[in-house]
Amino acid sequence: MGKSAYLLVAACAFGLTACADYEAGLGGGFSADKTLDRGVDAKHLSQLQAGIWVDPNGCDHWIIDDGVEGYLSQRLDRHGKPVCSGVALPTQTVGDFKGGSTVRDPN
Amino acid sequence: MVSTIYRAVNAAVGLAMTVAFLLLAAPASAQTPSQTGRDGGQYIPTIWVDPDGCEHWVMDDGAEGFMTPHVSRNGIPVCRRGKVCGMMKTDQYFATDSYRIHKAGQARLMEFFEGTNAVSYIITGHTDSRASDQYNMRLSRNRANSVAAIAQKSGARVSEVRGYGERQPVASNTSAEGMAKNRRVEIICIR
Repeated sequence: MGKSAYLLVAACAFGLTACADYEAGLGGGFSADKTLDRGVDAKHLSQLQAGIWVDPNGCDHWIIDDGVEGYLSQRLDRHGKPVCSGVALPTQTVGDFKGGSTVRDPN
Repeated sequence: MVSTIYRAVNAAVGLAMTVAFLLLAAPASAQTPSQTGRDGGQYIPTIWVDPDGCEHWVMDDGAEGFMTPHVSRNGIPVCRRGKVCGMMKTDQYFATDSYRIHKAGQARLMEFFEGTNAVSYIITGHTDSRASDQYNMRLSRNRANSVAAIAQKSGARVSEVRGYGERQPVASNTSAEGMAKNRRVEIICIR
């Protein structure tokens, strides 16, 4: 939320039309359908682009930074156990997990 | 006259049903400020498929995104395609009750691991349902460990070795054919 507020303020400050693009849908918000990303980087959520974040125990999570939205979900093998692949050191990330959105955000 | 009464009754029943439906449909009617938006607190997700082929519930409510793995009620992830990249029929590598891999089998496995080039491997052993559960758990684990040893010798990284005994059959144990299918070591390739 802090991040989205930042985006809103920045867009308005530069006088961009993106000011009206505030994704929270001014006044009452959106309907119960949460399957889409709205706004300038609009897409169906099946199109998200992920990387790997390694937790402090060394286990993998899918990480996605999609403009103003962030997603994190555990990587599980077919048996339901955590995948701890050793692809990177704990707390490091691998892959272009910010590459799926054209929205610029400072982090 | 009759039709007028009928229509009035019909309308009354319809109205009552609508009211009942609204009461049922909105049990969450604003318990907290979080349910007061246009969505009434309802979040309908869609599916995102990760690069391994497994599903996650995903939602975007405007400025925030949410995601969690899609698992069955007993905790098994819902995956679109098998991530198993190596399926070894144990009959071709081990003698009955043994967990030693013969020379030809070792060479074949070496070749497999050298050619696959995954980030790491998860190796799981499985048996048919003959003999006790405890015995099968031990045998399948020992066999998985034998395969893991070869993987490590080839320079591959093994992230986990598990024995599931007879607890995860892929075929029925009532026929010889089914039992042969269940006697296996699965190699999951993490990319």
